[in-house]
Amino acid sequence: MTHGMKVGALAILPLALGAAVYGFAFGLLAAQVGFPWWGVGLMSASVHAGSSQIVAVEQFASTGAVLGAVFAGAALNLRYVGIVASLSEVLNGLSLWKKLVAIHVTGDENWALTMAERAKSPDVGAKFLLGSGMVMISVWTTSTALGAVIGAVLPNLERFGLGFAFTAAFIAMARGLWRGRSQALAWSVAAGATIAVVSLGAPKAYGIVAGAICGLVAIYLVRRAKEATR
Amino acid sequence: MSGALWAVTSLLALAAFLVRVAGLSAGERIRASRQAWILDDLPGLIVVSLVASSLTGQPLPTWIAAGVALGIAIMTNHVIATMALGVVAFAGLKWLGV
Repeated sequence: MTHGMKVGALAILPLALGAAVYGFAFGLLAAQVGFPWWGVGLMSASVHAGSSQIVAVEQFASTGAVLGAVFAGAALNLRYVGIVASLSEVLNGLSLWKKLVAIHVTGDENWALTMAERAKSPDVGAKFLLGSGMVMISVWTTSTALGAVIGAVLPNLERFGLGFAFTAAFIAMARGLWRGRSQALAWSVAAGATIAVVSLGAPKAYGIVAGAICGLVAIYLVRRAKEATR
Repeated sequence: MSGALWAVTSLLALAAFLVRVAGLSAGERIRASRQAWILDDLPGLIVVSLVASSLTGQPLPTWIAAGVALGIAIMTNHVIATMALGVVAFAGLKWLGV
């Protein structure tokens, strides 16, 4: 493992341990639907999208419809179009198969950490993303498979603030991506749009997509207005 | 494992991967276009939206803890420190019954 990958692998460990708890919970859910432990692990390794897997399994459990479950899970993953697109510069120069591996191991946590660390140091790049992604997918796959076997004995860690740990981590990553006041309007629009969409009852994943798009539209309009006044 | 579970797993894996490949293709096209600014601004917008989606509908103590975490993030610019102290603030507020 190269130095950059090792740095990424170590940096993501606290977030990976947190994700493992959710992995246990998902494994338990999937086992109750009928997945064997190895089937849960196979799904986690091949899909590698926590919220999509949870929704797809829940949908399948309640309706028994394969295509409906797949569609619901895949739709929740649409934010990855934007997430992977933003990695274009990071992945530039890699061979195609390395790019495909990198985008498969990319998750919310290791993507955001890579971008936040890259904002501080331009040396952070594909190796960091790959190292942190390998840890995330390994921990996710292992924890979900273990959850299918022993998940029922896990205490409810939500009450100790586990969910908030991720929120705090993403707040810190946002801080790392902050470049100055010029971003304030777009970030406010994105946050406001997300809150509005989720408050209306839409899944959080759709709120994230809507927020990001509204933020981009705000930036575009400001740029157009500036160009018009020149 | 039943045929239906195999179908859910394989089709979801295919769909998730195709979404990522679509992002890869879109990113390369955008980077080569006049709209390359999108790639600079997208990460911050998605992370802010992730935070906003986590906080939507949460009670006041969670928002206060988020404010504390933001203060720590501004001061330290460090993910793990913000995560650890943010959870301490969250747990402390709960313990105090705020």
